[in-house]
This record gives sequence, C-alpha cells and structure tokens, in this order.
Amino acid sequence: MLENGYGGQILRVNLNERKFQVEPLDSSWIKPVIGGRAANSKRLFEELDMDCEPLGPDNILIFGVGPLTGSFLTASAYYTVSAKSPLTGILGDSAAGGQFGAEMKLTGFDQIIITGKADNLIYLLVTDGGVKFVDCPEYRGKKIVETTEIIRREQGDIAIQVAAIGPAGENGVAFAAVVSSGNRVNGRTGMGAVMGSKNLKALAVRGSKPVELADPLAFLAANRKIDQDILNHTEYTKRHNLGTTMLMKDLNSIGILPTNHFQGGVCSYVDEISGQRLASSFKVKNKSCFNCNVHCSRYYLAGDQEAEGPEFETLCGFTSRIGNQSLPFALEMNAYLNQIGMDSISTSEVIGWIMECQEKGLIHPKDLDGFSITWGEKEKIQQIVDMIAFRRGIGDEMAKGTKKLAERFCEEAQKLVMHVKGLDIICGDPRGIKAYGLTYAIASRGADHLRAEPYFELTNRKEESMKRFGTEKAADRLEEEGKAALVSYSEKIALLTDCLTMCKNIGLCMDILSLERASSLLRAGTGLDYTSEYLAKILADAIDLDHAFNRRLGMTRKDDTLPERFQKEPLAKGPTKGMTVDIGKMVNEYYKIHLWED
Amino acid sequence: MIQVDLHKCTGCKKCEVACAFFHTGKVSNRLARIKVLNLYELGIDGPVVCIQCEEKYCLKCPEEALSLGSLGQIIVSPTVCTLCEVCEKACPIGAMEIYHDIVFVCDLCGGKPKCVEACTEGAITFAQGEHGPSLNAIKKETSKKSPNQKRLHFLKKLGASLREKWSSKHA
Repeated sequence: MLENGYGGQILRVNLNERKFQVEPLDSSWIKPVIGGRAANSKRLFEELDMDCEPLGPDNILIFGVGPLTGSFLTASAYYTVSAKSPLTGILGDSAAGGQFGAEMKLTGFDQIIITGKADNLIYLLVTDGGVKFVDCPEYRGKKIVETTEIIRREQGDIAIQVAAIGPAGENGVAFAAVVSSGNRVNGRTGMGAVMGSKNLKALAVRGSKPVELADPLAFLAANRKIDQDILNHTEYTKRHNLGTTMLMKDLNSIGILPTNHFQGGVCSYVDEISGQRLASSFKVKNKSCFNCNVHCSRYYLAGDQEAEGPEFETLCGFTSRIGNQSLPFALEMNAYLNQIGMDSISTSEVIGWIMECQEKGLIHPKDLDGFSITWGEKEKIQQIVDMIAFRRGIGDEMAKGTKKLAERFCEEAQKLVMHVKGLDIICGDPRGIKAYGLTYAIASRGADHLRAEPYFELTNRKEESMKRFGTEKAADRLEEEGKAALVSYSEKIALLTDCLTMCKNIGLCMDILSLERASSLLRAGTGLDYTSEYLAKILADAIDLDHAFNRRLGMTRKDDTLPERFQKEPLAKGPTKGMTVDIGKMVNEYYKIHLWED
Repeated sequence: MIQVDLHKCTGCKKCEVACAFFHTGKVSNRLARIKVLNLYELGIDGPVVCIQCEEKYCLKCPEEALSLGSLGQIIVSPTVCTLCEVCEKACPIGAMEIYHDIVFVCDLCGGKPKCVEACTEGAITFAQGEHGPSLNAIKKETSKKSPNQKRLHFLKKLGASLREKWSSKHA
C-alpha cells in the first residue's frame, strides 16, 4: 500500500443502494497519472459507459486529490471534480482551491467515486471510517454557505469542509457549479448538475489521517526554494493585492478585454470596474487557499451583499462582457452566483449572446417570451440569472447552455456563440493572445485557458523564449509562430499542477513549477521514482488519453477550432487593432507535435 | 505571548501546517497546536492558540503534570499526565486538547514559534515577556463546551468586533 504522499485508498459510493466500498489504491495504477485531474480522467476512461446520459444515474462523478494535496507544499490546495459533462457531452472536469481538498486528503481517500442516484435528497459525510448517508430533503433550495453551516452544526464539527450545490445544481442547469469553502467554485462543465442529478446536495469531509512524506527534510528544502521564488517574484505584491482582478486593467491595456460580447477589446469605463477599485473601495481583507502565501483572494462588502472574490472571469463576465458599468452590481452578482451555484462564465455568455443577437435583430423579443435586454441592464440581467437557475419560462432553454439555446435560432445567431465544443469561452480575446486562442481550440474540456495557461506569451521574455521554444516569438502575444510549441509545453505543466493539485497562478503564471521541481517534490513526497523524463512522458500520455477520450465521444479534428469572429473579424481599435487568429495553422502544428493524425 | 490580528488572517493555515510539520513531521490539523477556523457565514478566518491567559486555568492539574515555562508557555509532563482531561475542560478557548493520548497545547517552540515564522501576513506575532489577557469573561460562556465548540465560540466573538469595524468603514 502507498504510505507516503498518497492517502492510499479510494472510496466508491453507490447512491442507488446507499452502500460504500473502500479499495486500496494500486501504486502501479496511480503512478503513471500522479493524481488529481489525470487520475480522474483515467478512471472515467476505464469505467464510464461512454454512451451514458450525463444527467442519468450511470454517469460517474469523481472527486480527486493528488499525492501532495494538503501537504507541506505551498498552495497544494486544489481538488478536481470530473464526470461526463451535461453541457458539452464530452470530458468534464473542474478544479477549485480553498480548504476542501486538504481536508478530503485527511480522509485517506485519493478519489471519491460516486455512482447511481439517491431516492431522496441526501448529503454524504465522508471520514476515514467511511460514509454516512444523511437524508436532507429540507435542504432543497438552500444556498451554499447556509448548507455548509447547517451541516457543520448538525454534525457538531466546525472543521468539516463541504462541497455543495445550490438551486442551479438541483434544477439541472447544464452549467451548474459545485461550490466549497463558501465561495470556491468548481464552475466549468456543469459538475453541479451531475451532482444534482444524483440527488446529492453536498459532500462533507472530515479526516484524521495525516499527510506523511517519504523524505520530509528533502521536501522542506525543495519547498523553501519555492517559497523564496514566490515571495521574491516581481508580480507578488500586485497578485497579493489584486489577485486575478489585476487582469481587468492589464488586458484592457493591450486591447483584449472582452467588451460588449467580444465586439471590442477596449473598455472605456475600465477604471470604474477594475480590480484596483474593488481593492480600494470594497475589499475588507485578503483571503487564501490552503497553505498559500500569495493570499490573492479577497473578501468584500457591497451593500447588503458580501462574499469572497470575485476572480477576474466573474468580474469581467459581469461588467465589460455584458456592458455593465456598475462594479457594486457585479459584486452582488458574484455573491449571488456563488451561492446559487452557477458558472459565471457560461451565464455571462448566455446573457451577452442574447444582448448582441437582439442588438443585431437576430432574436426578436417574441422568440424569448417577450423578453428583451440590452447592454448593462441590471434588473434584466438579474432576471435572466433567475430564469436560468429556476428554469422559468424560456430560462428553461437558456439553462441548457448557449450553444444548445442557439440551435433554436438562425445560423447567423449560432455563429455568434462564443464557444468551443459547447463550452463558453473565457474572458480574454484570442485575437491578441494567440497561444491562449490555440489553448481554447484544443482544450479537452472545451474553450478554456486552464488546460495550458500560456501566460508566458504575455511576459516578453525573449531570451527565455529562444531557449525553451527555439524562437523569440513565443514570448510575443501577437505572433502565431512558436505558439504550438509553447502550448505543448505549458499544457504539461498545467496538467502537472492539476495532478499535484497546486495553484496555476503560482505554478504556471508565476512560472514556479517545472518538471525538475515537480520530480524532486514527488520523489521526496511519495518515495516513488519520479524523474523529470518520466514525468514528461506520462504527462504526454495523459494528454493523449484525454484526446482519445473525446474521440470516443464523437469529437473530431474539426471541433478544435475557434468561433468565426476571432478568425475573420479584426478588432477595430486599441493595441490589438487589426488582428485575427489563423487557428487552423496553429492547430496543425500542435497536432504535428503530438503525432496525432486526426 | 502569541498575538493574533484577526483582520490580517486570510485563513491560509500556514501556521497550522508549520506547527504540525515541525512538531511531528506530518501535516494534519489534528496534530497542530494552533487551529485555524474558517467561518464562511461571517467571512472570518482565524487561528485559535494558547494565549498564555492571565488566569492559567489549565495549571489546576490535579496531578501537577502541567507547569509554566520561562517564556510563559505551558509544559506538559507526559510521564505524570494521566489524561484526566481537567486541563482540556478548564481551558476557556479550546487551546488545549487531548488527541491520541497526547495533550496538544502551544509550547512556543522554545521561543521561536514556527507559526509566527510561517505567517507571511503578519497576522500572528510573538511578544516575548508579555502577559496574556484575561479570559475570565469567556470562561463562563464556554464551560460545558467541547474544545472544538469553544474555539468556535471564541473566534465568533472576536469576529463580531472585527465585523463591526468593517461595517463602520463600509457604511
């Protein structure tokens, strides 16, 4: 049995029969996928009925951590939730930080694998001893923090951590989220809807198996270097003060801040909605994930609302992307979406897409139950959010996701959906960040930056670029040359962070993690022979496996693309003026590097 | 004494991790002598640890297994201790807890507390030679509670005054 790093066991929960089973984690099974996201993908690949209904009882919902989650490793806070996605029909997964992953680790279960459907709304309390199935029909409709607080009170233990769904997950919204630590969101690909379809309101964890390392002193030494690099990093202070909301002004300054649904990349009122304004006028203190020293999250008060966050995606999604100039309103929406458990990115795409289609006359109010909306209309934005979450009227169709909603309308309207593979695109215009564009196109969960997070292209580190990728252009955001190589490198490090379950802002954006570093951490942590060469190989294998996974689910080479807008419509003004993306060329190069034929 | 500035605490648990790791080589909140609570309903995070209170309720150990060190820290003699739980019950804030037959209480790491070193936010500081505050007022409120519940009660109380400051600033 695995004694170091890993918890060493997996937990299988069958909700049909309300039974659970504990199995030892086989080291030959886990070693080639490390843990976290790659382990979840492998489990699904091996055990999932690929034809299953995402919201049917046969879908498999996995909560996974890695060998260094909850360990002495700085920012080792993350956990990944995986299943077949109800939004995209392909591989679905979403990670979150906060405190849940570290507490789950203490239960000794590296994966919690949930199948079936409970006959009544229930929550699970998982401890080292196993599972308690608790009926909770009276929790229906309850929001996240309230659910967390009641479970802790009911169980008499304030140290319990809870991952729950809100009304959106209960109501099967295809982009419903799982939320833990009050405001930490597994937002993407609808994992909350899968949880809801199983009648599972919450997964509560409380463990007592300590995380043990094979060589604590070597681990300590390796982690000291990481801490030094973090604390001395040029972006440390900015990230500490603003977190990802620093990107509002940063992206605007290079002309790629999505404005009015990607019609523009420069927002005239950015100072009103910036991370700086949030920090000076609303933030009351910093917040942090488990064992992190960047403390980039924030707690704020805004009117009668208060919450943690928002991260950049939510802030941009509920300001410039949909033409809203009111920061307090965006902060209210962040609090609300977190508490009803709904992905802010997909929600803002539904809203922004409707706004643009109505502006262009492609969708008539009569097609939407008489509903009309234009940029920044606060009350109506709030109304749409509720229509979706509670499946009211046409909101029932919106809750299926923008791509499916658009199928009811003309081709021109369909083309305006900013998605790849059914997953709504994040806030960053790929016309001015080409490696990100490539990442959206090839990401195995659909349009998303986190599969590679090629932040390197924004750093202008020409010399380093030449060394790593054989061209200076990989460090130039507007160039397409070298981007396939950059993405093929950084997708490995991104996967590595998801397997160690470390933060990507630190691991990738701050460039703290490398294969060499990870190999010394994993060796000292687990005692297993992880060399950097071995890591490079298994990460490439895991990326191949994701590719094969989605091929089985019907994806083809043609799905690795970007919406037409980014390929054909040049941005009209600002520092990215005139740019489009030649996505086909970059994808071809990327396929060549991976030796994929189709 | 250890001092906590709740306003600066982000809930990262670096203090808790360092405490467990440097005392045991392992990481687990159960093995830490400083325990961080995340109260999501209040937006409050904070560590609870022995603050070397004025009263030193725990020293009323019937076996005299507890003594006061030169730094003001509580020293537990494992050979004399009978795990009678008197100290655990006496501590008003849950800073002392028996777990796996060991009395977990802050020992100030011999004068260089690891939790203080680990805190990059300056939320925990060590003031050598200073006496801790009185816990007389809170003692009655928590007398029947478990260590876990005492910590919650104590932190909620501290959190309430911090929240008042927030509201007055953001009114």
